[in-house]
Amino acid sequence: MVGLILKDLMTIQRQMKAQAFVLIFLLVMAIFMQQSAMLLAVIVFIVTIQAITALSYDEQSKWDKYANTLPISKADIVFSKYILSVMLMIFGLVMALPILFFINFFTNNDITSEFFLTFNLIITSALCLLAVLLPIYIKFGSIKGRIVLIAFCFIPGFLTGMFKEYIPDMTQTFLYLKQYVYLAPLGGLILLCLSSLVSTAIYKRKEF
Amino acid sequence: MNAIEIHDLHKGFEGFFLKDISFSVPQGTVMGFVGENGAGKTTTIKCMLNLIKKEYGEILLFGKDHVEHELSIKNDIGVVFDDLHVPETLNATQLDKIMRKVFQTWDSDYYFERLAQFKVPKRKKIKELSRGMRMKLSIALALAHHPKLLILDEPTSGLDPIIRDEILDLFLAFMQDETHSILFSSHITSDLEKIADYITLIHNGEILLSESKDALLYEYGIFKGNSEEVNDLPEHAILRTRPGAFGIEALVLKNEVNEAFRLERPSIEDIMLFFVKGSV
Repeated sequence: MVGLILKDLMTIQRQMKAQAFVLIFLLVMAIFMQQSAMLLAVIVFIVTIQAITALSYDEQSKWDKYANTLPISKADIVFSKYILSVMLMIFGLVMALPILFFINFFTNNDITSEFFLTFNLIITSALCLLAVLLPIYIKFGSIKGRIVLIAFCFIPGFLTGMFKEYIPDMTQTFLYLKQYVYLAPLGGLILLCLSSLVSTAIYKRKEF
Repeated sequence: MNAIEIHDLHKGFEGFFLKDISFSVPQGTVMGFVGENGAGKTTTIKCMLNLIKKEYGEILLFGKDHVEHELSIKNDIGVVFDDLHVPETLNATQLDKIMRKVFQTWDSDYYFERLAQFKVPKRKKIKELSRGMRMKLSIALALAHHPKLLILDEPTSGLDPIIRDEILDLFLAFMQDETHSILFSSHITSDLEKIADYITLIHNGEILLSESKDALLYEYGIFKGNSEEVNDLPEHAILRTRPGAFGIEALVLKNEVNEAFRLERPSIEDIMLFFVKGSV
């Protein structure tokens, strides 16, 4: 497992370096726009999504064919991608938070409860995104996976549009749910755990 | 003990079947696994490694079921495919760091010695290495945890004769330990003549023969003549016939044929051609 995570970190190392420039640009923008939440969201998403980059590299080199000749269980191969994603997310947060406080300090924005709401939502969205992305990419590969993902994004929107009149006003529901938002990351984490079980089941049925 | 034992292995795809494959590789020997492209060599190897799932049949590696004892078996095998399947942005030194975490028995000194012997650059990215270098790196990776069994799927295909010779020497050095075994799949029959103790011939998903190489090379002979001369050969001695440049060629059992018939010594390639393209 450690070997697999190490391999992924080494593989995406260069990619991360390239994206550091994007982050610097965003940092400058965030300072000017005084939008620290945006910076947090971008950093967390860019870093978290690197697990997908690692999967694409694996696919390109047919790594799974080789990995499955090594004394590593299929469950470990899948699980390593989830651990990597969560590790990267924590890394993203550790990187982003001091910058954020720094920006807030200079722009005299106080850390408000609104900020914690955004913070929770960003983490939850990142966890949910991974929980959906990883099984799709493991099942379909990166090219087909992208198409499935697009379909996955459009279908709910399309359905909502079609049956708009049958859907009650959600504003009240959202306001009601807002008080439980601090539990949301936990929900995201549970979803991610369930997703890892689904991915393992998919991976075990794959042939290389 | 047999390093590999396969009984009645069956696996079907659309338009292709492995049909009741059975053969074994005794410990301490090199088995040449030969057949034309698409004969089923890679599919058999993938079944052995549980990369694809068999439909039925039994596969034992070191006497243990290949699925039930998958991880312990994989600690003792080294696998080389026809290409190196690791992300191309990595280099040989990074692979050493990774493999150290994968195998408890990983021997970094041995690994770097092999790299130096093969002149494989330690810090050059895999995508910048030539095909020969990639294969040498792949072999160093397969050997550095000191496996007992090497499973090689076309490791020398597409390589020049000099590199092939170096690689074969390395396999011969590996075989100095009599507990070591190799399954060597190839359609380059000259490589197998150099290194193999046994030959298994697969064609259209079926095993046509599995015998010791010496038995094949010394007990078989090729008779070349016209059809009347071939008719004079004892019928039970003829294994296969095929049209030749000057009439008919027959693969015969040497000891069953009178010395008056002039026989030529066959190569593995001749035997393969007789079995695949000849008639009974």
